[in-house]
Amino acid sequence: MIDSPDADIGCYSVTDGEIAVINLGSARRRSWGRLARDPTATGVAESIVEQEHMAAQFLGDLGTIERLEALAMHLARVDAMSPRTALIQARVASTTHRFGEARIYLARAAERGASAEALERLTLSIDQACGTQLDALLVARRSMAAQSGSLEDLVPLGALLADLREFDEADETYRRALHAYRDVSPFAVAWVCFQLGMLWGELVDEPHEPRATSWYRRAIAVLPSYVKARVHLAEIRMGCGRPDEAESLLIPALASSDPEVRWRLADAMRIQGRLDEAGQQLAAARSGFELLLEQHLLAFADHGAEFYAGSGNDAARALDLARTNVANRPTLRAYEQAYSVAVGAGEPEAAIELLASATQRWGGAAAFRRSRLATCRTHSISEGGST
Amino acid sequence: MSDHIDGPRSVGDPVADITDLFAFTSPDNPARTVVVLNVFPGAGADAIFSNALEHSIGIRRVAVAGMGDAAKFEAADEEIRFSCRFGVLERDGPDSKPVQRGTCTLPDGRTLPVIVNDERGTATPDGVFRVFAGLRSDPFYLAWNVGLMRKTPNLLQHDNVLSIVIDLDTRRVLDPDKGSLFGATGETVPQPRPGVPVGHEPPRIDWVGRPEQTNVRLNNPGMLHTVDLRDLWNQQTPFAIAPEVRPLFLQRLRESFENYDMRDGKADWTPAALAANVNVFLDDFLLFDVAKPITDQSHLEIEKSTINGKPYQTGGGRTPDANSIDILLTWLVNRDREFLLGGANGPTKPATKVFPYLASPNTELQIVAERIDLAVPPDKVWALIGPFGGTWNPLVAAVQLTGTGVGQLRTIETVDGKQIVERLEVMDDTKHFYRYTNISGIPVSSYTGLLTVKPKGGGCTVEWHAQFLANDQATFIVKLIVSTLFRVGLDSLPARFGAKK
Repeated sequence: MIDSPDADIGCYSVTDGEIAVINLGSARRRSWGRLARDPTATGVAESIVEQEHMAAQFLGDLGTIERLEALAMHLARVDAMSPRTALIQARVASTTHRFGEARIYLARAAERGASAEALERLTLSIDQACGTQLDALLVARRSMAAQSGSLEDLVPLGALLADLREFDEADETYRRALHAYRDVSPFAVAWVCFQLGMLWGELVDEPHEPRATSWYRRAIAVLPSYVKARVHLAEIRMGCGRPDEAESLLIPALASSDPEVRWRLADAMRIQGRLDEAGQQLAAARSGFELLLEQHLLAFADHGAEFYAGSGNDAARALDLARTNVANRPTLRAYEQAYSVAVGAGEPEAAIELLASATQRWGGAAAFRRSRLATCRTHSISEGGST
Repeated sequence: MSDHIDGPRSVGDPVADITDLFAFTSPDNPARTVVVLNVFPGAGADAIFSNALEHSIGIRRVAVAGMGDAAKFEAADEEIRFSCRFGVLERDGPDSKPVQRGTCTLPDGRTLPVIVNDERGTATPDGVFRVFAGLRSDPFYLAWNVGLMRKTPNLLQHDNVLSIVIDLDTRRVLDPDKGSLFGATGETVPQPRPGVPVGHEPPRIDWVGRPEQTNVRLNNPGMLHTVDLRDLWNQQTPFAIAPEVRPLFLQRLRESFENYDMRDGKADWTPAALAANVNVFLDDFLLFDVAKPITDQSHLEIEKSTINGKPYQTGGGRTPDANSIDILLTWLVNRDREFLLGGANGPTKPATKVFPYLASPNTELQIVAERIDLAVPPDKVWALIGPFGGTWNPLVAAVQLTGTGVGQLRTIETVDGKQIVERLEVMDDTKHFYRYTNISGIPVSSYTGLLTVKPKGGGCTVEWHAQFLANDQATFIVKLIVSTLFRVGLDSLPARFGAKK
């Protein structure tokens, strides 16, 4: 296995990250302007959805959720009966993890004659997010990736393989996506590098930190404003005893509205003994999470659970949120998180219940047998054993 | 659209996406020729060039190799080539405005530095070349739903693009004594990463010759369920379509042209003439003759006359103001029997007569939005603020109404003596909203306001929203005036109804 991302990111330059971010903002504002002038113009609302998603995904701009919801409401008013409105409503609902609602909109879009390809793509995304029909999903993802060979199809396949704990194949798929890329947008390249960082830093059973670090560093080099890459790398650097480096990584991301930045910054400051500053950052993080959870509970339940199970220091709230997440999207990863939170909260009965539920839902899947949950025993929980 | 967003591959990468190519005689100096390459459809006010691309314009001498049904244009191998690259943003200090610089490599090998958005451009010391690079108003206009052949307003109204304008001495660069007919193409190609051996031709992202090869001719919006060939086309080499895919493109163009011919229910093209048209358009370069007049009307005249078996009379080419989409559709649908005029007569802004010829960029849409929550039902609030002629806002001294219903005008006299005239566009008493436009009194264009009362819990939310295109100087002041008008008005409501707890 080659550990150098440079060997994988292709022969061509990508646009400088600062320029790309300026151009994304520029195009995004222009798209909103075009929509205002012509509310039913073909393709404009769809462009806005893409651009707002990118702003959220890469820049941690969580205001995109309000804007997307406003867009969906706007379309419902001016173009209520069109298939594209129902498709965009489905996408917006899916973005905020309101998957049941998204499926209703999808059915409506199908009734109104939306294109089969658009329906299929969104259905696959929702199935993947909810962990449903994974066998059929894998067949479909493989087929799409084989047909197009494009990064846009290879990355979701890699993510699905990672969900199924086929880590080596996921790694190979992501690298193939990088090799296949022929354009100059840094967003796509940074996205794959981030996925590889996640894969080796968080998803595999035994994290390979140097490898994850090099991929996160590459993502940040390509796109310095990539907030999540900075947060994840900062976590690794803190774990390596370098809170100062973590702080340097997080400071440039403070302008984003993602409360996880302040949470991790608080951790870095606390480790360095700057308790007052850490306390202020933690309070800001808590307030940020609370605001998000109040407005978009389902979208941020898993992140909230992670926060409250950690520095947020409210185990009961963490368990409550983790359960909410499992109920909404019962993926194997959601179960793993909820189980871990329950154990950490000293709630053996909840842990047993979650393990039973996970076993019932996922017990037959190969991914479950490779999961941490498969090795858990109820007696070890009740004895206070770790996961 | 001309070549705007012309393939799935370029949708995610708009800065590499070529929108248009132009070639025309300088309106400022008939001894000079101008070629323009535009990229980034829908670029916003602060858009900048990618530093990872090479933007090139290639010009080749062309000969008429056949007339009538055997019409053919043959391009020479030798190319006059301009290539522009741009750098990352540079700052003189932490608070200074960033600047982007670029370099244009000229056909004689010299390089010319440019500063992006410097309207004066840069010229070579001998004055042979002058180059501008930066944001301009998109000169293209498309006012058709081409799939349905239905007129629309200009779909690119208020749009901007990033332009590279090259103004050159016709005689010294093109040497028309050796032949005055030329073909031009433009392309965007990624640059290799420094120090990384590539070993093969870089994959082209986009290229363009005549307008609308991809979005109208190859990917005819009136032909459903056809395979999208645009990305395959974009990967071809200009002036050298790969022989193995030529039959595929010929077949698609033939089907597309047959479809266009029958859009009005009349067959204007004989099979032989249609085949000649297909052959000419497959060789996709923008034809222009520097020895003949290039006007706003001359676009495609060289091709059309040659296919009609007559010597061409104009310099063809394409000026920024040329109505290229209507000229093309007319030719494809009825072979110039009757001009098909779309729903717009020109671009957002006409071209200028002086360098850099393309009009200044359009400003961003400005938005002012204010809201307030009230503890009373929407009906009650709407009864007060819903009437278009209402004087509930403390900043309004008087309102005079002219007419009734949609189209009604209200003349507002503010407490400080200003007069604002607004037109009612939509009124919905059931859903509690009305929309209006500004006619005068606010120094902006395309001003639209929306006043809405929405239920919220047991009470309601009043939202007041306006959007407009502001002149650069006026933006701040207008936003302040409008937001003050809204805020004071909304803040007066709780005293009448009670704010929401």
